[in-house]
This record gives sequence, structure tokens and C-alpha cells, in this order.
Amino acid sequence: MNYLCQQLNREWRFMLRQKYILILLSCTFLISGFSVLTGLNEISQQQQTLERLKAADKIDREEAQAKHDDPGSIAYYSFHLTSSSPSDLAFAALGERDIYPWKHRIKMLALEGQIYESDTQNAELAQAGKIDFVFVLSALSPLLIILLFHDLYASERTSGRHDLLVTTAKTSWALWGARGVIRFICVLLCLMVPFYIGATFSGTSLSNVVMVSFWTVIYLAFWTILSVYWGKNASSAPRVASGLIGIWVLFAFIIPILGDLTINKLVHSPEGGDIVLTQREAVNDAWDIPKTATMDAFTASYPQWKDYVAMESEFEWKWYYAFQQVGDQTAAPLSQAYRSAAQEKYQLAGIASLLSPPLLLQRVLTRLADTDAVAAFQYEQQIRDFHEQLRLFYYPFLFTDKPLDASQLANIPSFEKIINQQKAGINSNINSDQ
Amino acid sequence: MSSFIPTKPKLSKIIIVAKDEWRYWMRSKLAVSVMAIGLLLTLSSVVVTSIKIMELSHARHELQESAEETFVDQPDRHPHRMVHYGHYAFRTPSPLSILDPGIDAYTGNSIFLEGHRQNSAMFADQKQGTALTQLGSLTPAFIVQTLAPLLLILIGYSSVSRERESQTLTYLLSQGTSGTTLIAGKGLALLSVIGLILAPLAVAALFSLQDGESISAILGFILGYGLYLSVWALLVLLFSSALSKNSESFTALAFVWILLCVVMPRVASTTAATAVPAAGKIETDFAVIAELRKLGDGHDAADPAFDKLKAELLEKYNVDSIEQLPINYRGVIASSAEADLTQVLNDFAEQRMQTELSQTQISRQFGWLSPMVAIRSLSMLVVGTSIETHHRFLREAEALRFEFVQALNKVHIEKLSYEDDMNRNKDAAATQKARVGAENWQILEDFNFEVDDAKQRMQRSMGAFLQLLLWIALLVIVIRTTGKRLI
Repeated sequence: MNYLCQQLNREWRFMLRQKYILILLSCTFLISGFSVLTGLNEISQQQQTLERLKAADKIDREEAQAKHDDPGSIAYYSFHLTSSSPSDLAFAALGERDIYPWKHRIKMLALEGQIYESDTQNAELAQAGKIDFVFVLSALSPLLIILLFHDLYASERTSGRHDLLVTTAKTSWALWGARGVIRFICVLLCLMVPFYIGATFSGTSLSNVVMVSFWTVIYLAFWTILSVYWGKNASSAPRVASGLIGIWVLFAFIIPILGDLTINKLVHSPEGGDIVLTQREAVNDAWDIPKTATMDAFTASYPQWKDYVAMESEFEWKWYYAFQQVGDQTAAPLSQAYRSAAQEKYQLAGIASLLSPPLLLQRVLTRLADTDAVAAFQYEQQIRDFHEQLRLFYYPFLFTDKPLDASQLANIPSFEKIINQQKAGINSNINSDQ
Repeated sequence: MSSFIPTKPKLSKIIIVAKDEWRYWMRSKLAVSVMAIGLLLTLSSVVVTSIKIMELSHARHELQESAEETFVDQPDRHPHRMVHYGHYAFRTPSPLSILDPGIDAYTGNSIFLEGHRQNSAMFADQKQGTALTQLGSLTPAFIVQTLAPLLLILIGYSSVSRERESQTLTYLLSQGTSGTTLIAGKGLALLSVIGLILAPLAVAALFSLQDGESISAILGFILGYGLYLSVWALLVLLFSSALSKNSESFTALAFVWILLCVVMPRVASTTAATAVPAAGKIETDFAVIAELRKLGDGHDAADPAFDKLKAELLEKYNVDSIEQLPINYRGVIASSAEADLTQVLNDFAEQRMQTELSQTQISRQFGWLSPMVAIRSLSMLVVGTSIETHHRFLREAEALRFEFVQALNKVHIEKLSYEDDMNRNKDAAATQKARVGAENWQILEDFNFEVDDAKQRMQRSMGAFLQLLLWIALLVIVIRTTGKRLI
């Protein structure tokens, strides 16, 4: 034990005297710190935005509902905010939240016309990408590991100390192991300390912190072993590093790019524009076709209103909302195909990422943080569920003479309620499984 | 040392050094494979991106035409139905975007235009993507901006330090080759590699001539990339001659590459987004709605907000009631409400664009710190795939929207009687009567989005050119001093 400490202590002092290693490590710490800091800032901005939006949304809806008294107009003028709040790990893995929307305001009109609206951010910044902790970990840390470990043997060989060191050391572990362990621990700490501080600030659950640490150690160990192994017999450090950087380029750029090209050739997706076009044509044609055609198509899905479709005037709200729904129904096959294609692409990308450790790590961590495409797909499905509940709430008032008064309006579905119910449902499932 | 007279570097000697460097590369497996990979990557990226952009361009032209046809082919309708039926505007990519698609995949390429609303561009490609290309994509811009510097480092890191390590440097210097000549020769060799990398780009760029791209933009584009890669060649020379060992030179260069090419662009965008927070569309929509409420709802002619307009009209035509007006009062209200509303929407849209622009300006300032950030903005600006061009597309699409909506409102005012309009929901026959003929839909202007003219694009990119030139000037000065002290 004492011997081990002695070895580590010696290597620690040796490292402190190597200026370039210190520069590398302090840059690692700074970059990691920057990514965590800006990540925390971004997430707190998102949360504040959501708070402001929730308040404004409530006021806006109450005003609209106070202004009108017939159910058709109330439904027409009431917007409903839906959102997907960032998780407690989102600060470290901002993921796809700048590409997929995480907030939508919808109303009871045809959903296909609303759901593709995106609350866009600056496209030029999105194109440059952002620096979050997951990026630092998956893309940058391998390069830093390469720079730290590629010359473990080669530097001693070129400076002529290699054979001397090997013959005087008790075991090869005592020499190379101690040196490697010290460097590994230092780079790990420089990367992770900012993350742990950030996690404390944002109240990340312990299990998430443990999972991130676990994957990080495995990932860094993979690159360390690769770097050391690659340089085992080489005497030219730059040659080793070139090879390793080549591997990194292969993993980070070439394999993903080839995967992307292949997947886009394999999976055919309908054009998004066609969905909206189909839906618009259906909705607009409704004004020119017999009302009964619309009502028949509507009652095919909602037979409970079959006896209430008779119209007394050329415009009635029940017909208006019926053709909105028929518009969605007409576009449904296309929309379904569009979503399936996106999901299929995502799944195939999962297979491709098995060949690319950086992407694999990104996928694992963004899944953990609930900021990946899957989270976006789930959010979209939640919006669809909510839209359906909203329609089901209004239909009785539209198709019968049932008055919609304030006491009824209090029961109007809200997106938050649905999310909480779904969460409760998942928890009760877990409990009943046990 | 005082007797040392710096001789002017002779061109023939420089060329000899450069040729010698090439001989060394040709013998080294690493250099040959690196160059082969580099050339392969550039070529394939040029081919893949060109095909993709040409397909896109073709598809969007067709979509635009078919959108115009479907609009015109609509049956007889109430004119306001056509306002809601709407129209589409598609952004066709600029000719040079075969080399740098820029923000094309992030903005969405079509806008649905309808009355009373300004929609955002929909269906950005990224959303339907595999999320595999977050680190880099197979576009010539990415390959040359990010990977080409790495290639230069791999083949050039040892150019001077190698001579020192194998003790040939003193020999060379004592033979009368000055340090400056040596470095210049090595630099010339690297420059020829840059020429090799840029050749496929230049050929593809010249092809865009036939799509109407101007020659000055093409030259600006190639010059920009030439300057950018020269910065890297100079960095390689600097580290290789200032540091005494191959391994030191390599580690330092690799580290500089990580900082300038991988870290800095993202630090720039993250800093910009943090420094100028932008309210999202939903959030500004609340402010828009509040503003619009003051104006009155154009669907509701009885809204008290229109009382003044009503009084003015009655006075103008010298009649007592709106029924007696020779024009359709509801159409007048729709038209006037649309104009007021568009004013409000435009004010907010303009604010949002200004915010985006100031964010972008901040991130572009990082070009002083990283040549990669400089070439990134230079490239997008010259090609016309930057945020400025997208903003112009948004403005032109909005102009198109306003024009066709108001043209339809004019039809509403002049071609549809107020009485028929008011009775439209009475029965099926009245609904039929409250329509105008389909011949009135021939109001669309041809929409054809063209990239900004070359002069304007070049002017915008001046800042980025300056950033690259400053890098070059500074590096040349530092290298000259290093070259004189080369031992």
C-alpha cells in the first residue's frame, strides 16, 4: 500500500513539472466548466420562459372565454399551452431541444395544421451547434485523452529513458500503471467536477449522476486503453497520435455521415409539406361539398353523434369542427407515415451508433436526460392526446344544446393535468409490478 | 552573429525546398494516405452535396409552380375563403449552396401564407433527420473548414522540426539556405497542397456559373477558403519551426486545432445565445395578440374599432347606411384590418430579426479569435445561405402574402354585393350567391426567390475577410522573426 502511494506520489510530482499536461488539463476544466455554466443558464431560461408563458396563457384564455358565450366561439378563441419541461439532467445534455419544439400553443382546429409550427431559434446559431457537457464528453474528451496518453511509451523511448526505466522498475505496472492512473484521474476530475457542481445546483437525482459517471468512466477508459495500446510498440509519438486522431475522425464524422446517407436512402418519408397540403385541401373543400358528406365522414369515427348532425343554417359550429376533424382524418395516413419514418430513422441511427462510441454516448446520455428525439416524439404524442381530449370535451356542447357555463369550463382538459395523470399512471404500473 | 547578412530569399531556392518536401511526402506512407483521404473526402462531399442541392432546387421550383396552379384552379368561392385557403412560398437554394448549404437544413424551406397570420417556415430537414450529423456533415464547407486543417497538420507538423530533430537543419543553414528561405519553401509546398484540396471546390463553383452565379462571388468564395487554409499552413509552419521536437509540434498543433475548429465555433454560438436571449415566437405572439385586440377583429364588421372608418365611408359616398354603399362594407373592413394587422406583425417580425441579427453579429466577432469562425461566416455570407438571406426570404414571402390577401379583399369589396354577403348563411342558394367567379383568382404574382446580388454578399463578408487577413498578417510577422532566429 505504502509502495503504491509512493509510486503515485512520484508520478503526481512528475506530472506537475510537465507544462503541456497542465495546460491541457486546465483547458479541459475551463471548457467543461463553460459548457456546464451555459447549460445551466439555458435551462433556467427555458424554465423562466415556461413560467411566463403559463401565466400569459392562462390570462389570455380566461379573457377569450369571458368575451364569448357560445361553445363554438369559446373553442375557436381559446388557445392552450402545451410544453415539455427540461429534466433535471437537461443542463448537461441539451440534446435536440433546439431543433424540436418543446412548446406549442394549440386550439381545437385541425391539429395537422398546427403541430408542425416551430418556435424557431436563430438558425445560424443552431447550425454551429452548441457546447454542452455531452458534447465536451463525447467529442472533445477522446481528443484530450489521445493527447495525454499517446506518448506514454514513445516519449520515454525518444528521450532514451525507456529501457532504463523498465529495468529499474519493480513491475511494469508500478511504472506505467501509476503514470496512467494519475493522468486518468486528473482528466476525469477536470471533466466531472464542473458537472457535479452543476448537478448540485439543478438538483439532479442521484441515480442520474451515478449513471452519467458510470458511462463517462467506461467511455474514457475505452479511449485510454485504445491510446495506450495503440502506442505500445511505437517510437514516434506523432505517428501514434495521427493514427488515433484518424480513428476519432472515423468514429465522430465518417461513420455517422455514412450512416446518415445510408439511412436516408433506406427510409422513405412523405414530404412534410404534403401533410399540411392534404389537410388544407380537405378543410377548404368542406365549404364546397354537401354538409352530409362531411358529417358522414365525421360520424364514421364518432358514431355517438350520428343522431345530432342535422343542420338548421348554412353555418354551424358543429359542422365547422366536424370538417376540421375530417381534415385531420384525411391527412392521418400521411402524418402517420411521416412519424413512423422519423422513428424508423431514429432506430436505425441507433444501430449505426453502435459503430461509433461518441454517438453511442450521446444517445445514452440524451436518453437519460430526456432531451433526445424520442422525448420529442413523446411530446408530440402527448399533444395529440390532449387535442383529442379537448375535442371530446367540446363535442357534447357543440352537438347538443347543453350550455357551456363557467362551472363546466372549470373542467376543461389541461395539458398539465394530462401529463400528471400519465406520470401517475406510470408510477402505479411500477408499483403494481412490484 | 553581427556579420550575419540576411540574404533576400531566392525564388529558385524556395522552389527547390518545396520540391524536396514533396519528395519526402511521396516517400512517407502517412502523408500519401492523408492526402488521398483528403482528396477523396472533398470530392465525395462535392458530388453528394451538389446532387442533393440540385434535387432540392428542382423540387422547390416545381412545388412553387404547382402551388400557384392549385390556387388559380380553385372553384367559385367567397373571396374570404380564398384568404384562408392561402398560398405557399418556397425558398429555392442559391447556386453556390452546392458547396455550403449553410442554414438551409435548419430553417425549413416553405412558408404557408394565409390571411391574418405570419407563419414561420416549416419542415426543417433536421427534424426528419437521423441526428447522426450533429458533429459534422458531408458538405464541402464542413470538410474544408474542419478536416482540411487537420490534414495540413498531419502532413506538415514536422516540416521544420524534422530537419532539426535529424540534425539536417544546421547543415542546411550552413550551406547558405537562410531560415526564411527554408520556411518559405516548406510554406510553398503546403500551399500546393491547399491548391490540391481547393481544386474540386473551384471546379464545382465554376459549374454554378451556368446557374447564374456571378464570377465575383465565385472568386470571393475560393479566395476566402484559400486565405483560411493559408492561415493553417502558417500556423503549421510557426509551430513546426518554433518548437524543437516533432512530438511537441504535433501535440501543440493538434491542441490548437481542437480549440480553434472544434471548441470555438460552439463557444461563439453559445455565448451569442446567452448574451442576447431571444424571446420565442409563442412569447412574442402574446404581445402581438394584445396589440391586435386594440385593432378589432376584421371578421366582425360590428366591432366598435371600425366605427371611425364607417363614418368616413358614409360621408365619402354621401349615404346614410352601410347597405347603401356602392361597395361591400365587410370587404373594406377586412382590407383595412389586414393592413393594420400586418403593420403590427411586421413590427414584431422586424424586432425578432434584429435580435437574431445581433446574436449572429456577436458570434461572428469570434472570428478574430478563430479563423474557423471567420471562414464559416464568410462562406455562408458569400454563398447566400446566411441568416441575412433567410430574413430577406421572410420579408419577400410576407410581401407576397400581403399582396394576395389584399388583392382578394379588393375582389371582396368590388365584386361581391354587401347584401349577398350578409345573407350568405341563410340557405344553400344564398351561400351559392355569395361567391365570386374563379377567374378572380388570377391575382398571384410569380414568386421566385433569388439570392442577394453578389456585390451585397461580398460587402457583408468584408468583416470576415479582414479577420482572416489579420490572422495572416500577424502570423507572417511572427514567422519572420522565428525564421531569422532559426537554429
